[in-house]
Amino acid sequence: MNEITTEKIVLAFIGGVTFLIAALLFFILSTLFLKGVPVLHAGFLFEESGDFGRAGGIFYQSMGTLILMGVAVLLSLPVALGSVLFQTEYLETGKFKTFLTQLTYILNATPTILFGLVGYLLFGVYLDTGVSWVTGSLILAVMILPTLQVSIREAVEALPEKYREAGMALGLSRPTQIYRIILPQSFYGMVTGVLLGLARAAGETAAIMFTATTFSGIRLPQSFSDPVPTLQTHILVLAQEAANPESIAQAWGAGLVLLGLVFLLTLMAWIFRTRVVMESEL
Amino acid sequence: MIRFVNFSAAFGERNIVQDLTFSLPANSITALIGASGSGKTTLLRTLCRMNDRIKNFRIAGSVLVDGVDIYRPETDVYALRRKVGIIFQKPCVFPKSIFDNVIFGVRERISRREQPDRVEKVLREVFLWEEVKDRLGEKATTLSQGQQQRLTLARTLAVEPQVLLMDEPTSSLDPKSTAAIERLVQSLKNRHTILWVTHQHAQAQSIADQVLVIERGQVSPLRTPMARPSTSSTQVLQNVQGCPE
Repeated sequence: MNEITTEKIVLAFIGGVTFLIAALLFFILSTLFLKGVPVLHAGFLFEESGDFGRAGGIFYQSMGTLILMGVAVLLSLPVALGSVLFQTEYLETGKFKTFLTQLTYILNATPTILFGLVGYLLFGVYLDTGVSWVTGSLILAVMILPTLQVSIREAVEALPEKYREAGMALGLSRPTQIYRIILPQSFYGMVTGVLLGLARAAGETAAIMFTATTFSGIRLPQSFSDPVPTLQTHILVLAQEAANPESIAQAWGAGLVLLGLVFLLTLMAWIFRTRVVMESEL
Repeated sequence: MIRFVNFSAAFGERNIVQDLTFSLPANSITALIGASGSGKTTLLRTLCRMNDRIKNFRIAGSVLVDGVDIYRPETDVYALRRKVGIIFQKPCVFPKSIFDNVIFGVRERISRREQPDRVEKVLREVFLWEEVKDRLGEKATTLSQGQQQRLTLARTLAVEPQVLLMDEPTSSLDPKSTAAIERLVQSLKNRHTILWVTHQHAQAQSIADQVLVIERGQVSPLRTPMARPSTSSTQVLQNVQGCPE
Protein backbone atom coordinates (compact mmCIF):
# COMPACT_ATOMS: atom_id res chain seq x y z
CA MET A 1 0.00 0.00 0.00
CA ASN A 2 1.54 3.31 -1.01
CA GLU A 3 1.54 6.49 1.12
CA ILE A 4 -1.29 8.17 -0.77
CA THR A 5 -3.60 5.18 -0.31
CA THR A 6 -2.72 5.01 3.38
CA GLU A 7 -3.46 8.70 3.77
CA LYS A 8 -6.82 8.25 2.04
CA ILE A 9 -7.77 5.40 4.38
CA VAL A 10 -6.74 7.38 7.47
CA LEU A 11 -8.63 10.41 6.19
CA ALA A 12 -11.73 8.32 5.52
CA PHE A 13 -11.56 6.87 9.04
CA ILE A 14 -11.09 10.13 10.94
CA GLY A 15 -13.60 11.90 8.70
CA GLY A 16 -16.06 9.05 9.32
CA VAL A 17 -15.79 9.19 13.12
CA THR A 18 -16.13 12.98 13.06
CA PHE A 19 -19.26 12.64 10.96
CA LEU A 20 -20.56 9.95 13.35
CA ILE A 21 -20.18 12.26 16.36
CA ALA A 22 -21.91 15.12 14.53
CA ALA A 23 -24.69 12.77 13.38
CA LEU A 24 -25.24 11.48 16.92
CA LEU A 25 -25.52 15.00 18.30
CA PHE A 26 -27.83 15.99 15.46
CA PHE A 27 -30.02 12.92 16.10
CA ILE A 28 -30.32 13.64 19.83
CA LEU A 29 -31.07 17.32 19.31
CA SER A 30 -33.54 16.81 16.48
CA THR A 31 -35.41 14.05 18.35
CA LEU A 32 -35.62 16.18 21.47
CA PHE A 33 -36.70 19.17 19.42
CA LEU A 34 -39.33 17.31 17.40
CA LYS A 35 -40.82 15.57 20.42
CA GLY A 36 -40.42 18.43 22.89
CA VAL A 37 -41.66 21.42 20.93
CA PRO A 38 -45.30 20.22 20.56
CA VAL A 39 -45.62 20.11 24.36
CA LEU A 40 -44.39 23.65 24.89
CA HIS A 41 -47.04 26.24 25.42
CA ALA A 42 -47.16 29.73 26.83
CA GLY A 43 -47.40 28.64 30.44
CA PHE A 44 -45.16 25.56 30.33
CA LEU A 45 -42.28 27.33 32.07
CA PHE A 46 -44.40 29.19 34.58
CA GLU A 47 -47.22 26.81 35.51
CA GLU A 48 -47.35 24.21 38.23
CA SER A 49 -47.49 20.61 37.03
CA GLY A 50 -50.75 18.76 37.54
CA ASP A 51 -52.21 15.27 37.33
CA PHE A 52 -48.93 13.70 38.50
CA GLY A 53 -46.93 15.48 35.87
CA ARG A 54 -49.15 14.61 32.94
CA ALA A 55 -50.44 18.17 32.59
CA GLY A 56 -49.45 21.76 33.34
CA GLY A 57 -45.91 23.11 33.36
CA ILE A 58 -42.59 22.62 35.10
CA PHE A 59 -42.23 25.81 37.16
CA TYR A 60 -41.35 24.26 40.53
CA GLN A 61 -39.14 21.61 38.93
CA SER A 62 -37.18 24.38 37.20
CA MET A 63 -36.97 26.32 40.47
CA GLY A 64 -35.73 23.20 42.28
CA THR A 65 -33.04 22.63 39.67
CA LEU A 66 -31.96 26.28 39.87
CA ILE A 67 -31.84 26.16 43.69
CA LEU A 68 -29.60 23.08 43.69
CA MET A 69 -27.35 24.50 40.96
CA GLY A 70 -27.07 27.96 42.50
CA VAL A 71 -26.35 26.81 46.05
CA ALA A 72 -23.88 24.20 44.78
CA VAL A 73 -21.90 26.85 42.93
CA LEU A 74 -22.03 29.25 45.88
CA LEU A 75 -20.57 26.54 48.10
CA SER A 76 -18.06 25.24 45.58
CA LEU A 77 -16.67 28.50 44.20
CA PRO A 78 -14.78 29.73 47.30
CA VAL A 79 -13.25 26.28 47.83
CA ALA A 80 -12.20 25.95 44.18
CA LEU A 81 -10.83 29.48 44.09
CA GLY A 82 -8.93 29.05 47.33
CA SER A 83 -7.31 25.81 46.22
CA VAL A 84 -6.40 27.30 42.82
CA LEU A 85 -4.74 30.32 44.43
CA PHE A 86 -2.87 28.06 46.83
CA GLN A 87 -1.62 25.92 43.95
CA THR A 88 -0.73 28.71 41.55
CA GLU A 89 0.45 31.49 43.85
CA TYR A 90 1.94 29.75 46.86
CA LEU A 91 3.02 26.24 45.89
CA GLU A 92 6.27 25.98 44.00
CA THR A 93 6.37 23.68 41.01
CA GLY A 94 7.01 20.20 42.29
CA LYS A 95 5.64 16.77 43.01
CA PHE A 96 3.02 17.96 45.49
CA LYS A 97 1.62 20.41 42.95
CA THR A 98 1.47 17.69 40.29
CA PHE A 99 -0.17 15.35 42.82
CA LEU A 100 -2.88 17.92 43.59
CA THR A 101 -3.54 18.45 39.88
CA GLN A 102 -3.85 14.70 39.26
CA LEU A 103 -6.14 14.42 42.28
CA THR A 104 -8.48 16.97 40.70
CA TYR A 105 -8.61 15.00 37.45
CA ILE A 106 -9.34 11.76 39.34
CA LEU A 107 -12.12 13.47 41.26
CA ASN A 108 -13.51 14.72 37.96
CA ALA A 109 -13.61 11.17 36.59
CA THR A 110 -15.32 9.62 39.62
CA PRO A 111 -18.74 8.12 38.71
CA THR A 112 -21.42 10.52 39.91
CA ILE A 113 -23.44 7.81 41.64
CA LEU A 114 -20.52 7.42 44.04
CA PHE A 115 -20.78 11.10 44.91
CA GLY A 116 -24.40 10.41 45.73
CA LEU A 117 -23.62 7.38 47.92
CA VAL A 118 -20.70 8.86 49.80
CA GLY A 119 -22.30 12.30 49.91
CA TYR A 120 -25.48 10.95 51.42
CA LEU A 121 -23.52 9.03 54.04
CA LEU A 122 -21.40 12.06 54.91
CA PHE A 123 -23.98 14.85 54.74
CA GLY A 124 -27.32 13.11 54.97
CA VAL A 125 -26.42 10.66 57.73
CA TYR A 126 -23.40 12.01 59.64
CA LEU A 127 -24.34 15.68 59.35
CA ASP A 128 -28.00 14.74 59.66
CA THR A 129 -29.22 16.81 56.71
CA GLY A 130 -31.35 13.89 55.49
CA VAL A 131 -32.93 13.76 52.05
CA SER A 132 -33.04 17.48 51.41
CA TRP A 133 -32.02 20.26 49.06
CA VAL A 134 -29.14 20.98 51.47
CA THR A 135 -27.75 17.46 51.02
CA GLY A 136 -28.24 17.70 47.25
CA SER A 137 -26.52 21.07 47.04
CA LEU A 138 -23.58 19.84 49.14
CA ILE A 139 -23.18 16.74 46.96
CA LEU A 140 -23.41 18.77 43.76
CA ALA A 141 -20.93 21.27 45.21
CA VAL A 142 -18.37 18.49 45.73
CA MET A 143 -19.18 17.03 42.32
CA ILE A 144 -18.65 20.26 40.38
CA LEU A 145 -15.60 21.23 42.42
CA PRO A 146 -13.09 19.69 39.96
CA THR A 147 -14.82 21.30 36.98
CA LEU A 148 -14.64 24.70 38.64
CA GLN A 149 -11.12 24.08 39.89
CA VAL A 150 -9.75 23.08 36.49
CA SER A 151 -11.41 25.99 34.65
CA ILE A 152 -10.28 28.58 37.18
CA ARG A 153 -6.76 27.14 37.35
CA GLU A 154 -6.45 27.27 33.57
CA ALA A 155 -7.58 30.90 33.60
CA VAL A 156 -5.14 31.86 36.35
CA GLU A 157 -2.27 29.97 34.72
CA ALA A 158 -3.03 31.59 31.37
CA LEU A 159 -2.44 34.99 32.93
CA PRO A 160 0.84 36.32 31.51
CA GLU A 161 3.69 36.17 34.01
CA LYS A 162 4.52 39.81 33.21
CA TYR A 163 1.50 40.98 35.24
CA ARG A 164 2.68 39.11 38.33
CA GLU A 165 6.20 40.45 37.87
CA ALA A 166 4.92 44.00 37.45
CA GLY A 167 2.92 43.66 40.66
CA MET A 168 5.88 42.19 42.52
CA ALA A 169 8.15 44.94 41.26
CA LEU A 170 5.82 47.56 42.76
CA GLY A 171 6.14 45.92 46.16
CA LEU A 172 2.61 44.56 46.25
CA SER A 173 2.17 41.81 48.81
CA ARG A 174 0.96 38.38 47.67
CA PRO A 175 -2.63 38.92 48.89
CA THR A 176 -2.72 42.35 47.23
CA GLN A 177 -1.45 40.85 43.98
CA ILE A 178 -4.20 38.26 44.16
CA TYR A 179 -6.84 40.88 44.86
CA ARG A 180 -5.60 43.53 42.42
CA ILE A 181 -4.11 41.46 39.58
CA ILE A 182 -4.92 37.75 39.62
CA LEU A 183 -8.64 37.92 40.37
CA PRO A 184 -9.59 40.82 38.07
CA GLN A 185 -7.47 39.53 35.21
CA SER A 186 -8.84 35.99 35.56
CA PHE A 187 -12.42 37.11 35.98
CA TYR A 188 -13.74 35.81 32.69
CA GLY A 189 -12.03 32.46 33.24
CA MET A 190 -13.75 32.20 36.59
CA VAL A 191 -17.12 33.01 35.07
CA THR A 192 -16.46 30.30 32.48
CA GLY A 193 -15.70 27.83 35.25
CA VAL A 194 -18.85 28.77 37.13
CA LEU A 195 -21.00 28.37 34.03
CA LEU A 196 -19.49 25.00 33.18
CA GLY A 197 -20.01 23.93 36.78
CA LEU A 198 -23.63 25.05 36.59
CA ALA A 199 -24.07 23.15 33.34
CA ARG A 200 -22.65 20.00 34.92
CA ALA A 201 -24.88 20.40 37.96
CA ALA A 202 -27.90 20.93 35.73
CA GLY A 203 -27.21 17.72 33.87
CA GLU A 204 -26.68 15.62 36.98
CA THR A 205 -29.38 13.13 37.97
CA ALA A 206 -27.92 10.07 39.69
CA ALA A 207 -26.21 11.78 42.60
CA ILE A 208 -29.24 13.78 43.68
CA MET A 209 -32.02 11.30 42.82
CA PHE A 210 -32.14 9.62 46.21
CA THR A 211 -30.52 12.33 48.31
CA ALA A 212 -32.30 15.58 47.54
CA THR A 213 -35.25 15.34 45.22
CA THR A 214 -38.86 14.38 45.20
CA PHE A 215 -41.36 13.95 42.39
CA SER A 216 -44.40 15.37 44.11
CA GLY A 217 -45.71 16.74 47.39
CA ILE A 218 -43.38 19.73 47.58
CA ARG A 219 -43.33 22.96 45.60
CA LEU A 220 -40.55 25.08 47.05
CA PRO A 221 -38.62 23.94 50.14
CA GLN A 222 -39.92 25.50 53.36
CA SER A 223 -37.04 24.35 55.56
CA PHE A 224 -33.48 23.04 55.36
CA SER A 225 -34.77 19.48 55.65
CA ASP A 226 -37.17 19.60 52.68
CA PRO A 227 -36.36 17.92 49.36
CA VAL A 228 -37.07 19.71 46.08
CA PRO A 229 -38.66 18.68 42.79
CA THR A 230 -36.17 18.95 39.92
CA LEU A 231 -36.35 18.68 36.14
CA GLN A 232 -34.11 15.63 36.16
CA THR A 233 -36.32 13.65 38.57
CA HIS A 234 -39.42 14.87 36.77
CA ILE A 235 -38.14 13.55 33.44
CA LEU A 236 -37.01 10.25 34.94
CA VAL A 237 -40.29 9.50 36.69
CA LEU A 238 -42.42 10.51 33.71
CA ALA A 239 -40.26 8.49 31.31
CA GLN A 240 -40.84 5.39 33.42
CA GLU A 241 -44.55 5.65 32.60
CA ALA A 242 -43.86 4.59 29.03
CA ALA A 243 -47.41 3.39 28.46
CA ASN A 244 -48.83 6.84 29.02
CA PRO A 245 -48.31 9.12 25.99
CA GLU A 246 -49.10 12.29 27.99
CA SER A 247 -46.40 11.52 30.53
CA ILE A 248 -43.85 10.79 27.83
CA ALA A 249 -44.74 13.99 25.98
CA GLN A 250 -44.30 16.05 29.17
CA ALA A 251 -40.93 14.34 29.74
CA TRP A 252 -39.76 15.39 26.28
CA GLY A 253 -40.85 18.97 26.94
CA ALA A 254 -39.00 19.08 30.27
CA GLY A 255 -35.98 17.48 28.58
CA LEU A 256 -35.93 20.18 25.95
CA VAL A 257 -36.01 22.89 28.62
CA LEU A 258 -33.18 21.20 30.56
CA LEU A 259 -31.09 20.86 27.42
CA GLY A 260 -31.81 24.51 26.55
CA LEU A 261 -30.57 25.53 30.00
CA VAL A 262 -27.35 23.51 29.65
CA PHE A 263 -26.80 24.83 26.12
CA LEU A 264 -27.32 28.40 27.24
CA LEU A 265 -24.79 27.99 30.05
CA THR A 266 -22.27 26.32 27.74
CA LEU A 267 -22.71 29.02 25.11
CA MET A 268 -22.13 31.73 27.70
CA ALA A 269 -19.07 29.85 28.96
CA TRP A 270 -17.72 29.70 25.41
CA ILE A 271 -18.24 33.45 24.95
CA PHE A 272 -16.43 34.21 28.21
CA ARG A 273 -13.68 31.75 27.26
CA THR A 274 -13.06 33.84 24.15
CA ARG A 275 -12.53 36.85 26.41
CA VAL A 276 -9.96 34.88 28.44
CA VAL A 277 -7.95 34.17 25.30
CA MET A 278 -8.09 37.84 24.35
CA GLU A 279 -6.89 38.87 27.81
CA SER A 280 -3.96 36.49 27.77
CA GLU A 281 -2.86 37.92 24.45
CA LEU A 282 -2.75 41.49 25.71
CA MET B 1 24.09 52.89 48.89
CA ILE B 2 24.45 49.45 47.32
CA ARG B 3 27.24 47.00 48.03
CA PHE B 4 27.82 43.43 46.96
CA VAL B 5 30.13 41.52 49.34
CA ASN B 6 31.57 38.17 48.27
CA PHE B 7 28.35 37.67 46.37
CA SER B 8 27.70 34.58 44.24
CA ALA B 9 24.51 33.52 42.48
CA ALA B 10 23.59 30.32 40.70
CA PHE B 11 20.69 28.51 39.12
CA GLY B 12 21.10 24.98 40.42
CA GLU B 13 24.60 23.90 39.50
CA ARG B 14 25.10 26.67 36.95
CA ASN B 15 27.03 29.57 38.45
CA ILE B 16 26.01 32.99 37.17
CA VAL B 17 28.27 35.30 39.16
CA GLN B 18 30.99 34.38 41.61
CA ASP B 19 32.48 36.09 44.62
CA LEU B 20 31.65 39.65 43.59
CA THR B 21 32.60 42.59 45.76
CA PHE B 22 31.80 46.05 44.45
CA SER B 23 29.72 49.12 45.24
CA LEU B 24 27.29 51.38 43.45
CA PRO B 25 27.56 54.98 44.59
CA ALA B 26 24.40 56.78 45.67
CA ASN B 27 22.69 59.29 43.39
CA SER B 28 24.54 58.26 40.29
CA ILE B 29 23.98 56.19 37.20
CA THR B 30 25.91 52.96 36.90
CA ALA B 31 25.69 51.08 33.63
CA LEU B 32 26.22 47.36 33.59
CA ILE B 33 27.18 45.92 30.24
CA GLY B 34 27.85 42.41 29.08
CA ALA B 35 27.05 39.85 26.45
CA SER B 36 23.72 38.05 26.32
CA GLY B 37 23.55 35.40 29.03
CA SER B 38 26.39 36.94 31.03
CA GLY B 39 24.16 37.42 34.10
CA LYS B 40 23.31 41.13 33.85
CA THR B 41 19.62 40.68 34.40
CA THR B 42 20.11 38.07 37.12
CA LEU B 43 22.36 40.43 39.03
CA LEU B 44 19.89 43.28 38.59
CA ARG B 45 16.98 41.19 39.80
CA THR B 46 18.83 40.03 42.91
CA LEU B 47 18.72 43.64 44.14
CA CYS B 48 14.93 43.56 44.48
CA ARG B 49 14.75 39.82 45.12
CA MET B 50 12.74 39.17 41.98
CA ASN B 51 14.47 35.81 41.61
CA ASP B 52 12.94 34.49 44.81
CA ARG B 53 10.18 32.71 42.89
CA ILE B 54 12.69 30.68 40.91
CA LYS B 55 12.98 27.32 42.62
CA ASN B 56 16.64 26.48 42.13
CA PHE B 57 18.01 30.02 42.47
CA ARG B 58 20.57 30.27 45.26
CA ILE B 59 22.96 32.91 46.49
CA ALA B 60 25.95 33.24 48.78
CA GLY B 61 27.50 36.35 50.34
CA SER B 62 25.66 39.60 51.02
CA VAL B 63 23.91 42.37 49.15
CA LEU B 64 23.70 45.54 51.21
CA VAL B 65 21.20 48.31 50.48
CA ASP B 66 21.66 51.25 52.82
CA GLY B 67 23.96 49.05 54.89
CA VAL B 68 21.35 46.34 55.44
CA ASP B 69 21.71 42.85 53.99
CA ILE B 70 18.57 42.33 51.91
CA TYR B 71 18.91 38.54 52.03
CA ARG B 72 18.73 38.20 55.81
CA PRO B 73 15.67 36.16 56.82
CA GLU B 74 13.80 39.00 58.53
CA THR B 75 13.87 41.25 55.45
CA ASP B 76 10.47 42.64 54.48
CA VAL B 77 10.71 41.80 50.80
CA TYR B 78 7.68 43.94 49.88
CA ALA B 79 9.18 47.01 51.55
CA LEU B 80 12.46 46.23 49.78
CA ARG B 81 10.74 46.19 46.39
CA ARG B 82 9.12 49.55 47.12
CA LYS B 83 12.56 50.90 47.96
CA VAL B 84 14.28 49.29 44.96
CA GLY B 85 12.11 49.69 41.87
CA ILE B 86 12.71 47.87 38.62
CA ILE B 87 11.84 48.74 35.02
CA PHE B 88 11.67 45.79 32.64
CA GLN B 89 12.91 45.42 29.10
CA LYS B 90 9.40 45.43 27.66
CA PRO B 91 6.86 47.79 29.16
CA CYS B 92 4.06 45.98 30.93
CA VAL B 93 0.98 48.10 31.47
CA PHE B 94 -2.17 46.70 33.00
CA PRO B 95 -5.29 46.71 30.83
CA LYS B 96 -6.64 49.60 32.88
CA SER B 97 -6.73 53.37 32.50
CA ILE B 98 -3.59 55.49 32.40
CA PHE B 99 -4.54 56.97 35.78
CA ASP B 100 -5.08 53.53 37.35
CA ASN B 101 -1.77 52.29 35.99
CA VAL B 102 0.17 55.16 37.51
CA ILE B 103 -1.48 54.76 40.89
CA PHE B 104 -1.35 50.95 40.84
CA GLY B 105 1.44 50.48 43.38
CA VAL B 106 0.23 53.08 45.89
CA ARG B 107 -3.52 52.84 45.65
CA GLU B 108 -3.86 51.46 49.18
CA ARG B 109 -1.08 53.62 50.57
CA ILE B 110 -2.23 57.14 49.82
CA SER B 111 -5.64 58.72 50.20
CA ARG B 112 -7.98 59.08 47.25
CA ARG B 113 -7.56 62.87 47.49
CA GLU B 114 -3.81 62.65 47.11
CA GLN B 115 -3.94 60.38 44.08
CA PRO B 116 -4.49 62.97 41.31
CA ASP B 117 -1.56 65.06 42.60
CA ARG B 118 0.69 62.00 42.74
CA VAL B 119 -0.29 61.01 39.21
CA GLU B 120 0.40 64.49 37.83
CA LYS B 121 3.72 64.76 39.69
CA VAL B 122 5.17 61.52 38.35
CA LEU B 123 3.76 61.93 34.85
CA ARG B 124 5.48 65.32 34.73
CA GLU B 125 8.71 63.70 35.96
CA VAL B 126 8.65 61.30 33.02
CA PHE B 127 7.59 64.05 30.58
CA LEU B 128 4.33 62.30 29.79
CA TRP B 129 1.90 64.70 31.43
CA GLU B 130 1.41 66.98 28.44
CA GLU B 131 0.76 63.99 26.19
CA VAL B 132 -1.84 62.27 28.35
CA LYS B 133 -3.32 64.88 30.70
CA ASP B 134 -6.55 65.03 28.71
CA ARG B 135 -7.02 61.29 28.46
CA LEU B 136 -6.09 59.86 31.83
CA GLY B 137 -9.20 57.69 31.75
CA GLU B 138 -8.23 55.99 28.51
CA LYS B 139 -6.74 52.50 28.46
CA ALA B 140 -2.97 52.52 28.89
CA THR B 141 -2.69 49.92 26.15
CA THR B 142 -3.59 52.62 23.60
CA LEU B 143 -0.26 54.39 24.25
CA SER B 144 2.76 53.86 22.02
CA GLN B 145 5.55 51.53 23.16
CA GLY B 146 7.74 54.45 24.18
CA GLN B 147 4.91 56.13 26.07
CA GLN B 148 4.12 52.83 27.79
CA GLN B 149 7.72 52.54 28.95
CA ARG B 150 7.60 56.07 30.37
CA LEU B 151 4.29 55.17 31.99
CA THR B 152 5.83 52.13 33.71
CA LEU B 153 8.62 54.39 34.93
CA ALA B 154 6.01 56.84 36.27
CA ARG B 155 4.23 53.94 37.96
CA THR B 156 7.48 52.93 39.65
CA LEU B 157 8.30 56.51 40.64
CA ALA B 158 4.86 56.87 42.23
CA VAL B 159 5.99 54.29 44.81
CA GLU B 160 8.93 56.64 45.61
CA PRO B 161 11.83 54.16 45.37
CA GLN B 162 15.36 55.20 46.29
CA VAL B 163 16.96 52.87 43.76
CA LEU B 164 15.94 52.39 40.14
CA LEU B 165 16.95 49.26 38.29
CA MET B 166 16.59 49.51 34.52
CA ASP B 167 16.76 46.25 32.59
CA GLU B 168 17.52 47.26 29.01
CA PRO B 169 14.56 49.64 29.12
CA THR B 170 15.15 51.02 25.64
CA SER B 171 15.84 47.81 23.75
CA SER B 172 12.34 47.63 22.29
CA LEU B 173 12.01 51.36 21.61
CA ASP B 174 12.58 53.56 18.58
CA PRO B 175 15.43 56.13 18.67
CA LYS B 176 13.16 59.01 19.65
CA SER B 177 11.70 57.15 22.62
CA THR B 178 15.15 55.86 23.54
CA ALA B 179 16.46 59.39 23.67
CA ALA B 180 13.54 60.48 25.82
CA ILE B 181 14.16 57.69 28.33
CA GLU B 182 17.90 58.36 28.43
CA ARG B 183 17.41 62.05 29.14
CA LEU B 184 14.70 61.24 31.62
CA VAL B 185 16.99 58.97 33.57
CA GLN B 186 19.66 61.65 33.64
CA SER B 187 17.13 63.98 35.25
CA LEU B 188 16.33 61.40 37.95
CA LYS B 189 19.82 60.65 39.19
CA ASN B 190 19.89 63.47 41.74
CA ARG B 191 17.19 61.72 43.71
CA HIS B 192 17.80 58.08 42.85
CA THR B 193 20.60 55.57 42.62
CA ILE B 194 20.29 54.05 39.18
CA LEU B 195 21.62 50.80 37.79
CA TRP B 196 21.10 50.54 34.03
CA VAL B 197 21.67 47.24 32.29
CA THR B 198 22.42 47.37 28.59
CA HIS B 199 24.41 45.55 25.97
CA GLN B 200 25.15 48.74 24.06
CA HIS B 201 28.57 50.16 24.99
CA ALA B 202 27.81 53.50 23.41
CA GLN B 203 24.64 53.97 25.38
CA ALA B 204 26.35 52.94 28.61
CA GLN B 205 29.12 55.49 28.04
CA SER B 206 26.76 58.29 27.19
CA ILE B 207 24.42 57.99 30.15
CA ALA B 208 26.41 56.53 33.02
CA ASP B 209 28.72 57.97 35.62
CA GLN B 210 30.48 54.63 35.83
CA VAL B 211 30.37 51.62 33.56
CA LEU B 212 30.81 48.08 34.83
CA VAL B 213 31.37 45.04 32.68
CA ILE B 214 30.11 41.59 33.58
CA GLU B 215 32.02 38.76 32.01
CA ARG B 216 32.54 35.13 32.98
CA GLY B 217 30.81 35.67 36.32
CA GLN B 218 32.95 38.63 37.31
CA VAL B 219 32.21 42.37 37.39
CA SER B 220 34.91 44.92 36.67
CA PRO B 221 35.10 48.61 35.70
CA LEU B 222 35.21 49.27 31.97
CA ARG B 223 38.87 49.86 31.08
CA THR B 224 38.83 50.41 27.34
CA PRO B 225 38.36 54.09 26.62
CA MET B 226 35.54 54.67 24.21
CA ALA B 227 34.54 57.71 22.32
CA ARG B 228 31.35 59.34 23.49
CA PRO B 229 28.63 58.62 21.01
CA SER B 230 28.27 61.41 18.57
CA THR B 231 24.76 61.93 19.00
CA SER B 232 21.97 60.16 17.70
CA SER B 233 20.15 60.08 20.95
CA THR B 234 20.82 63.68 21.84
CA GLN B 235 19.88 64.99 18.45
CA VAL B 236 16.72 63.03 18.34
CA LEU B 237 15.95 64.13 21.85
CA GLN B 238 15.74 67.74 20.87
CA ASN B 239 12.72 66.87 18.85
CA VAL B 240 10.96 65.22 21.75
CA GLN B 241 8.35 67.56 23.06
CA GLY B 242 8.48 68.26 26.72
CA CYS B 243 11.99 66.98 27.34
CA PRO B 244 14.27 69.49 29.04
CA GLU B 245 17.60 70.31 27.51
